[in-house]
Amino acid sequence: MTAAGLQKPEPRAEASRPRGLLHHPGLRLVRLHLASRRIPGALAALALCALVLRAGLSWHWSLGNGNGAQQVPVLIEAGAASIIAVTAQSPFGDPERATGRWLPYLRLGTAVGLTAAAFAAMAAGATADHLPGGTLDILRNTAGMTGIGLLLAAVTGGALAWTGPMAYMIVAQIGLIGDWTSPWVWPARPPHDLGAGLCAGLVFAAGIVVATVRGARAVREI
Amino acid sequence: MTLTDALARPRPRDAGHASPMSLWRLLWLELRRNAMPWMFPLLAALFVFDAFRSAMGYGPFWDLRASALENKLLPDFVAFVAGVAAWMGSRDSRRRTRDLVDATARPRWTAQLTTWAATTLWVAAGFLCCVAVLYGVTASQATWGGPPWWPVAVCLAELALMSALGFAVGTFFPSRFTAPLAAVGAFLLSLEGFRNAVGRSSAYALLSPTTYVPDDDTGLFHHYLPDVSIAQLMFLIGLTMVALAILGLRRAADAGPQLRRAAAVIAVAGLAAAGTAIGLIGTARTQAYGTVIPALHDAANDRPIPYTPVCSQAAGVPVCVHPAYRNFLPDVTAALAPVLREIASLPGAPARVDQVVVNDLIPSNGAAITGVPPVFRLPMPATPDETSFGQNAVSFTSYLQATLVTVFVVGAHGFVTLGPVGGTPAQQAVVLALLQKARTATQTGSGPGNGSHTKADQVAAAARRFAALPATTRHAWLAAHLATLRAGDITLAQLP
Repeated sequence: MTAAGLQKPEPRAEASRPRGLLHHPGLRLVRLHLASRRIPGALAALALCALVLRAGLSWHWSLGNGNGAQQVPVLIEAGAASIIAVTAQSPFGDPERATGRWLPYLRLGTAVGLTAAAFAAMAAGATADHLPGGTLDILRNTAGMTGIGLLLAAVTGGALAWTGPMAYMIVAQIGLIGDWTSPWVWPARPPHDLGAGLCAGLVFAAGIVVATVRGARAVREI
Repeated sequence: MTLTDALARPRPRDAGHASPMSLWRLLWLELRRNAMPWMFPLLAALFVFDAFRSAMGYGPFWDLRASALENKLLPDFVAFVAGVAAWMGSRDSRRRTRDLVDATARPRWTAQLTTWAATTLWVAAGFLCCVAVLYGVTASQATWGGPPWWPVAVCLAELALMSALGFAVGTFFPSRFTAPLAAVGAFLLSLEGFRNAVGRSSAYALLSPTTYVPDDDTGLFHHYLPDVSIAQLMFLIGLTMVALAILGLRRAADAGPQLRRAAAVIAVAGLAAAGTAIGLIGTARTQAYGTVIPALHDAANDRPIPYTPVCSQAAGVPVCVHPAYRNFLPDVTAALAPVLREIASLPGAPARVDQVVVNDLIPSNGAAITGVPPVFRLPMPATPDETSFGQNAVSFTSYLQATLVTVFVVGAHGFVTLGPVGGTPAQQAVVLALLQKARTATQTGSGPGNGSHTKADQVAAAARRFAALPATTRHAWLAAHLATLRAGDITLAQLP
C-alpha cells in the first residue's frame, strides 16, 4: 500500500464553541496560569499574614514604641512579599516559555495583582490597632520587599526566592533598632520619607519588569 | 488507592536487619541533595554584617563576645533554618514522589529523620563556621580567659529545634508557601523571645536563649553560671524530641509497631525533659553575679576566679584593673586623673582605685568608696567601643568621672537607675562643678522631689558659681564642709 492509496480523511467537524464566560479561551488561560502559580494558596497565605498582623497589633507583640513597634509589622510584610516571590515559580519551565505568547502579561498581572492583594490584606489586618507608619508604610515596605523577592526569583528560581525578602527583613530589623537613615533601608524611615519611597518604588519596578520579561529562573527543584 | 494506603506486608521473621551502611549512604545522599548549603552565602553575609560586626564592637571579653551568638547570630539563622527545613520536609509531597519513597525498604519515619538530620548537620556546620571565625578573632585579641561553650551548645539546640519544627510543618502542610510561612513563624518566635527578655520580669522568659544578656565582665571575676544554659538545653532538646516523635506517630510514617512505640517513648521523654526544664526555670533567682537555679547550681562556681591585677598611676593614685581590661587601663587612668586631682587630700578621697565586679542588683553597680585608707571600688559595665550598645571614648570617660564624683560627694545611694544623679540640690551642684572642672559636660541633675526646670536651673547656676571659684578657695571650702555636704545639711544658697 502506498500513500496514493490512502483515502483523505473527512474534514473534522468544527469543535463546538465553549459556552459561558468561564470557558472563554482568554479567561481559561488566566485561570490556568493562576492555578499553576498556586494563587489561591497564595491568597490564603496572605490572609494568614493579615491575621497574624492583626493578632500582633491587638496583643501588642511589638517592642516598645517608635521604631521598635515596627518590628512585627515589617516581619509580616516580609512574609507577604516572600509569598508573592514564590508564586513566580513555574511548574512547566521552558515549554511554557516557548509556547506562551501571553505569558509576560500574565506574569505582570499576577505580580501586580498579588502585591495589591497583599497591601489590601495588610491594611485590613492593621485596622486592629494603631499601626506606626500607617498604610503608606505598609504599601512602601510590601512593594519594596516584593521587588527584592521577584528580582531574586529571576536569579535563583522561585522556590527559594523567599530568602531575599527574609534577608532584607533582618537587615531592616537592625536598621529599625539602630535608627538608620539610609533610604535603602526603607522600613527604618518614616512613611513620608521621599528617598525611602523612591528606593522602594525603584526596587519594586525593577522586580516587576524582570518578573514580566524573564519570570523566575527555571532551576531543578531541590 | 495508593501505595500509602495499602496494608504493609508483615516483616518475615528471618529477615535480617538493614545494613547500617545503607543508612549512612542515605544520609550522604540527603547531605548532597540538601537546600541548606544554598543559604550559606546569605547567612555568611548576615553574619559579617550583623553578629560579627556587633561582636567586634564589644571589648575583647570572651563571654561578652559570645553573647553575640545568642542575641545576633541565632535570630539571623532561625528564619532560614525553619524555612529550609520546611522545604525539605515537604519535598516528597511537593515532587509527588511519596508513593515512590513509601515503597522503599526503610520506614518512612527513618528516611524523614535522615533528611532532618542532614539539614541539621548542615545548619550546625554553618553555625560552627561562624563561631570559629568569631572565637578565632577573639582569641587573637583577648588577654584573659577562654571561649565559653555553653552558649554554643544552647544555640545549636535551638537551631535543631527550629529545624525539627520547620520539618514537621513542611511534612504536615506540604506547599510552596510553607517555607516562607515557617520562616516568618520562627523569626516571630525569636522576636517574642527577645521581647520577653527585655520587657518582662517572668522567670520563664529565661527559657528563650536570647534572654541571656551578660554584663561586660561576666566570666572574669566569677565563673560563668551554666544553670540557665542547662535548663535551656533540656527544654530545647525535649521539644525537638517531641517534634520528631510526632512525625513517627503518624500513620503515614509507616513506622510499624516497634518504631511507633519508640516514637511514643521519645515523645514522652521529650515532654518530660521540657516539663522539667520549665519547672526548674521557675525556681531561678537572680543573684549579684548571674542567675542561679538551685537544683542545677554547682557551688564551686561561686568561688571568685583568682587573678593578679594590672596597675598604673592616675594623679599619684594607683589604679588597678582586671588583666582582661589591660588594654583599657590607659583610658581609665586618663579619665580618672583630672577628678582625682580635684579631690586630692580632701577627706575620704580615694588612695587607690580597684576594679570590682559589676553588681546588677544595685543602681551603682557596686561602685563605692570604702576602707581605711579609702579605696574607690569601680565596676566597669561598658568599655570604650564604637557599638550601638557600648560607649565611645568620650562617654566612657564621662561615665568613669561621674561615677567617681558621685560616689565621693553623694555616696553610693546617689545613683538612680536610668536617671541623672540623685542627692540634694547642693550635692548635685557640687558634683556638676567638679565634673565641669574635670572638663566633663554632664546633664543637670534633678534629684528626688525636685524635678522642675526651675530647680534644675538653680542647681546649674550654683554649679557654675562654685566652679568659678579659685581652686584653692573651692578646695578649702570642700575640706571644711564636705562632711556636712555629704550629710545633706547644706542648701544651694549656702554654697559659695
